[in-house]
Amino acid sequence: MSSEPIERRVAYIGDRLRGSRCQLCGKEYFKIRDYCGNCGKKSIGKMEEIDLFYEKGKLEVCTLINNPTNKFKKIGRFIYGIVSFHKGKIRIPGRLTDRIIRNEEEIDFSSLEGREVVPRFRRRYAVKKSEIIPTISLTFTFADEYYPHQKYEVAKPNREYDTPGIVGYGVYVSKFRIKEAFMERSVPFIDEDAITAAVEAGKLALIHSGVDHRLIGKIYVGSESNPYAVKPIASKVAQVLKLGEEDSIDGVQGVDAVDTEFACKAATSMFKDAVSLVYYPKSNVEYAMVIGADNSQAAPRGEPGGELDFFVGYGGCCFIFGMKDVIAEVEGWYSVTSDTPDFWRRDQEPYPRHGGRFTGDPAYFKHIKKASQKLMDKFNLQPQDIDYFVSHQPNINFPTKVAKELGFKEEQFMPSLQVAKFGNTYSGASPIGLAAVLDKAKPHQRILLASYGSGAGSDAYLFITTSQINDKREKQKFTVEYQAQNQFIEYVDYAMYRKLKRGLEA
Amino acid sequence: MPKKSCPAIIGAGRTKFGEHYEKEPEKLIEEAGLKALDSVGIERKDLEACYVSDYFLPLTNKIGLEEGFLSELLELHVPMEVARSFSSAFMNACNAIIAGKYNLMLVGGFEKMTDRWDKIRDDLMMLEDPWSYYAGGTPEANHELLLREYIKEYEVTGQQLEKLEIALAQISVKNHLNALKNEYAQFKRKITVEHVLKARKRAKGMLGLYDFAPISDGATAVILASPEVAESYTDKPVYVLGSWSATDYITFPFREERTGFLATKLAMENAIKATGIDRKEIKILEVYDQSTVMEMIALEDLGYAKPGTAWQHIYESCQDFKGYYEIDGTKIYVNLNGGLKADGNPLGATGGAQIFEIFKQLRGEAGERQVNVGSSCFGCALELEGFGTKAYVHIFGRDAL
Repeated sequence: MSSEPIERRVAYIGDRLRGSRCQLCGKEYFKIRDYCGNCGKKSIGKMEEIDLFYEKGKLEVCTLINNPTNKFKKIGRFIYGIVSFHKGKIRIPGRLTDRIIRNEEEIDFSSLEGREVVPRFRRRYAVKKSEIIPTISLTFTFADEYYPHQKYEVAKPNREYDTPGIVGYGVYVSKFRIKEAFMERSVPFIDEDAITAAVEAGKLALIHSGVDHRLIGKIYVGSESNPYAVKPIASKVAQVLKLGEEDSIDGVQGVDAVDTEFACKAATSMFKDAVSLVYYPKSNVEYAMVIGADNSQAAPRGEPGGELDFFVGYGGCCFIFGMKDVIAEVEGWYSVTSDTPDFWRRDQEPYPRHGGRFTGDPAYFKHIKKASQKLMDKFNLQPQDIDYFVSHQPNINFPTKVAKELGFKEEQFMPSLQVAKFGNTYSGASPIGLAAVLDKAKPHQRILLASYGSGAGSDAYLFITTSQINDKREKQKFTVEYQAQNQFIEYVDYAMYRKLKRGLEA
Repeated sequence: MPKKSCPAIIGAGRTKFGEHYEKEPEKLIEEAGLKALDSVGIERKDLEACYVSDYFLPLTNKIGLEEGFLSELLELHVPMEVARSFSSAFMNACNAIIAGKYNLMLVGGFEKMTDRWDKIRDDLMMLEDPWSYYAGGTPEANHELLLREYIKEYEVTGQQLEKLEIALAQISVKNHLNALKNEYAQFKRKITVEHVLKARKRAKGMLGLYDFAPISDGATAVILASPEVAESYTDKPVYVLGSWSATDYITFPFREERTGFLATKLAMENAIKATGIDRKEIKILEVYDQSTVMEMIALEDLGYAKPGTAWQHIYESCQDFKGYYEIDGTKIYVNLNGGLKADGNPLGATGGAQIFEIFKQLRGEAGERQVNVGSSCFGCALELEGFGTKAYVHIFGRDAL
């Protein structure tokens, strides 16, 4: 049985890798300290908090953990060692994650030692299903592999817009994939889940936008695979990314954090709320963050609902909305809903059920077409007036068919079609499609996004890119294409896929 | 230091180390305690105080008020205190005797680790270094990281590294050899360098099963007396000439020094300073070989070998092993009882086994294990708590200072 207060305290320091620095002598510490050992009493009040979360460390020494302690057994073998920051001023213990070490593998420690590493936010270890999920960033991957190190630099905004829009975004999918028939799908590493994907996506969006994390006044996380039935993901994201005002180190952030759940449109649904909030002058919310993240659930093949197991992926996508330095203005939206139960999961059931053929025409197609058409009609637009069309992508056929039926050509919808690379990332699916388009779009292009959430509903949005889309592009190395075509992608077989997908639940 | 300030050990007793499936923890210390009392002909009722130690019985056996169990079992109502390690209890008892508070005490230690076999590694690591535990560390990992730091710091590579690896294996082989003559040892089995190397291969690391001390149950006890009282019971007391400790950070990676233990160095320096003895005169050493690496670095931390060189002396001494390590012309006998590796390591009792061995050797009562170190007869015990978080050094002699 874990102790909640202990978990909370360890997570507060460990999730964000917080430390302290003495302003008098420069000595640094991992963890928050009230005074410096060198300077003693006169350093009280002179300790500043330092942050290792966006920094690059160095793996000093390492060994192989071949026989982990009980709580780490599920992770299997892993490399473990001492990681230093700031030229050795701070040293912390760390585990290398995202590595499957096979039995026959020989590890040459000296070839790993001395390499640069990036902190990653992961589950700490396995706990019982009834317990608080412990998380930590004392987990690292090599900076020259799949996940590059990127600096987070807060940028002073240059321009204020009349229309609110997207000011930055981030996409995170894991480096593991399964390849079957026409599809590649992203597979979480064993210590990942919807929460860790949400944090990673949020971190990448902050890096891309250059927005000061303290100015985010609201965060929404949409997911249908929250490992908790009761407890938001958004609060974890807010704490780890230090969103909102934080005037003392009491660990309470001045931000509104809330989770939403509406199958695969849980995130897109909140775009309009975010936009409205940043537009309303009395809201005091300068920026709002919306994340869609899922470790898309599916029953094993052969079981009811198991047909989804051919399509599900893992990943998260985050958008930050605001009025300053916008890269894509939100022109308008139209949402539709009906009670069409084509996909559902009853409480206490581990996996969702699927309405079979019922999920096509009366569900996906009907809703996406209606929302998209209505929005185009409202703005008096024809398909040729739109540069890119993005729709929800549960498989390859549906988005292709719906795009064609709406009158879009391949060059309009193909750039957004990422399902063949990552699988259906549920709440993250159409947002990742949008991000893929934003990665490539030129200034002043129009994008139509139409999400779909089973149950059922669709949100259609019109975006127009601005000239600043080009300016911010260099601040994001970890693009959709980079993640889709990365040389460090590791393919797993079906047995490993099921194991990783199940994750650290004891 | 005037003679009356040297507490003396007048009796010692212990159980066999290993698995004592059938016994409650308090029965183990009762056995060790009664043996210690018997060895010098003292009655329970003569004891003025008992200081005992256990590292984590409240966790492994859900025993909280250890003193109450002992009081009930021994039917004693004297002051009793509990410490975390034998050495801690022992040093505090010495201080009490030096202060003149008590004249006759029992110092004991007990541990029952096998009762929590399936969770013991998590417990050990959690207590040893919690941040390292949260990051995935195991009780073995810090030893391996220290070794990595060591070979990097001293640039040990190629053939030199192979020699170092063999030297570490020889430590284990030597300790198993010594334990063959120890009736109380957990492992009375000869092993070879090949056994050690094979186990490392299985573990896929620089250290393997035979590099580490085991999980053990057991208890130890000594009778400690003021010099005046000691002389009324025995003409062969073993005096505690100096006893010192030092403390280091709980989190190993945070420490400045990671190729050895600062706590050991400080404790030894202060103990040496307090006794005024030249360390070269101390020929019998019981060091805390929780791993073979720990025995190696102990020789450096205690000041016998220069930093980065202990393995060379061990390697050379083991080419034609005569029972001792020879370092710059000084012959030292290390872990004559088999060390933690082969004698066993029931944490709270371990220091007692080290002191038991030195007591027996200095009195010439070590039987088959007895070594002859001539007239200058000093012994030194080094016990650690955690991964070098605390170090205790005790220096013993046949004559009070």
